[in-house]
Amino acid sequence: MTDPDNELTGAAQQASRQPAPETAKPVSSEVTPPIAPAEQDAADAAVLRESRKHTRRSFAIAAVGAAAGYGIYQWIDHSQRLSMQPMPFRRAFQANAKLSRAIFDDRALAPAYPLKRAEDLRVNGVYGLKQTLVPESWRLQLTGVADARSYPQYVTAVTAWEYRYADVKSHEDQGHDTKVAPSADTAEKMAPESMVAAEKIRQERAGRMPRGLEEAGRSRSTLDPGTPGLLLTMDDILKLPKHDLVTQFKCIEGWSQIVHWSGVRLADLIAAYPPAKGVDGRLPRYVYMETPNGDYYVGYDMKVCMHPQTLLVTEMGGSPLTQFHGAPLRLHAPTKYGYKQIKRIGLIAYTGQQPDDYWTKLGYDWYAGL
Amino acid sequence: MLSLVHRPSMDEREDNGRPAHGQPLAEAKNAISQTSNLQNTSSQADGEGISLDPVAQPLAKSTDTLLEGNSATLSAVPGDTPTAPAETPLVSPRIRLDKKHPLAIRWMHWINFPVLFTMIWSGLLIYWNDSDNAYKHPHAVYRIGVGPFTLVRFFPEWFWKAMNAPYHVTQGLGYHFFFMWVFAINGILYVLFTIFSGEWSFVVPDRKSLKEAIQVTLKDFHLSKTLPPQTKYNGAQKIAYTSVIVMGMGSLITGLAIYKPTQAHWVTTLLGGYEMARWEHFLLTMGFCGFFLIHVTQVVLAGWNNFRSMVSGLEVKPVEEPSLEAERRSWG
Repeated sequence: MTDPDNELTGAAQQASRQPAPETAKPVSSEVTPPIAPAEQDAADAAVLRESRKHTRRSFAIAAVGAAAGYGIYQWIDHSQRLSMQPMPFRRAFQANAKLSRAIFDDRALAPAYPLKRAEDLRVNGVYGLKQTLVPESWRLQLTGVADARSYPQYVTAVTAWEYRYADVKSHEDQGHDTKVAPSADTAEKMAPESMVAAEKIRQERAGRMPRGLEEAGRSRSTLDPGTPGLLLTMDDILKLPKHDLVTQFKCIEGWSQIVHWSGVRLADLIAAYPPAKGVDGRLPRYVYMETPNGDYYVGYDMKVCMHPQTLLVTEMGGSPLTQFHGAPLRLHAPTKYGYKQIKRIGLIAYTGQQPDDYWTKLGYDWYAGL
Repeated sequence: MLSLVHRPSMDEREDNGRPAHGQPLAEAKNAISQTSNLQNTSSQADGEGISLDPVAQPLAKSTDTLLEGNSATLSAVPGDTPTAPAETPLVSPRIRLDKKHPLAIRWMHWINFPVLFTMIWSGLLIYWNDSDNAYKHPHAVYRIGVGPFTLVRFFPEWFWKAMNAPYHVTQGLGYHFFFMWVFAINGILYVLFTIFSGEWSFVVPDRKSLKEAIQVTLKDFHLSKTLPPQTKYNGAQKIAYTSVIVMGMGSLITGLAIYKPTQAHWVTTLLGGYEMARWEHFLLTMGFCGFFLIHVTQVVLAGWNNFRSMVSGLEVKPVEEPSLEAERRSWG
């Protein structure tokens, strides 16, 4: 190719109308004969006019877009609440759960860890555990069992069973749970002024209600009085094969711990006491569980209960469960967050209706699948 | 009017051998003489590096440079413009409008802005739940430290109070698991668009980008006076914008690892486990915040013409500067 400068010298004469732009590198004035500055400025002004036309139009569209975005946030904020979540978010939880069931089918096994990595699980959440249960008075109420009358543990009203406690019902908070607003004392440590004030008013008005009942209220899925079913003893449970599991417990608060669990598979219990078909002739899709006094309750898909790692736990770290870890029987399901892993189970009910769930009522996801 | 064509300064242009149109000669010469100083040796060695095709463009064609590809509808041409009837068509403006950002990229950029903000803010509300420093279980993950030694924990209490974060966990969860879809879909569409439109070649760094980025950074800190040549983005921008896109993908992957650590446990395991995945998710968020601060600062420093182009798509440029629209045409 030729030297560009040589080529340019000839052609430069023809382009000499072009003056050097002020903003850029100056071109030598020899090749830039004078042209009328007014004409040049007018030519530039035409470009700027065009630019302004576009700018006005674009910013008008941008303003409409920004208003639409603001509108979306307002719509969410003002939409009706379903269990303390704005409707679009509750629907999104449900859609996410549906998608998750469709893709993953709740079948994957959670990773297991070597025993030496197991830790002592922290106590978090004491709803339904505050009173000391007399161990001999514990029974597992089981309802919805097929041909229940054929079992020796059959009773005409499982709800009539009386759990006995070693102490009177306490209204004191025991432990702090960060998932909900704390008591005024706790709130003062880190919450905004307004929250502390609101909490003080609430406590003065209502006294110290048990927090569990105060916040989520009674379960909609609890049994009607006179519901027939089985009353299982711990011996009945321990007849099932014992399994050990070293898996990670994950709290929705964010923390997680590897724990050594021992107990029986919920799937084995369900196989030993299979569910009855519902009035529609289908097996129940759900399982409902609650603590002996109904303070805490969870709902599960039957499918998750049949997962081989869903365990009815009697021991943690090789020792029997303590009171605040849910003695004598608690649940561990590594496919779910901790808030679904109910402690001190008093009732297991097979049901065709999606059961109520304590933390779902307070704005959390019912599915909570990991 | 006769226009000459000059070859732009970037390698890609030289390689594809297709010229940009309509550079008026004096500017073309000017641009080329500048270009020739900046040519790398390989492109000069092949004898093609600097060439000048004296292709005369028809008038209508050359006016494309006013607004590449759109002169007919936009009539930014003196003489064509009813509002400037007195002007002679023989005077070309010294400036033109260059199509800098395609419409789709502008939309996706501005959708991403509030959505990413929402994700960071709602993530903060969720994360507060594990930041319970005042009580028994100071979190193990979100800190800078080695083993039992901790230098900093995220975040101090004054920060939480200032953010009004305490006890808004379910709000955070609601927003996070709704807008994650918008963030993911918008991000995936962006990547697909850049791939299929060819815009990726403006953004993805090449071998020279790191060196250019260093030069640009030195210039920003007034340690150097020269700037490397650039088309749409300089080396620092290419690295920053590509990084932030990769970070977005990282947030989706680490997010999935946290969201479904059992069903997608192989992802979680690859990332070093559940706690590591959470830490990585958090670190990426800090990265977005850092990117945001630098990005906004640079946009402010770059000025109105640059900012406006992210809204209107058009940038006012001296005519002799390389045309992005010409480069796009050269992609074929």
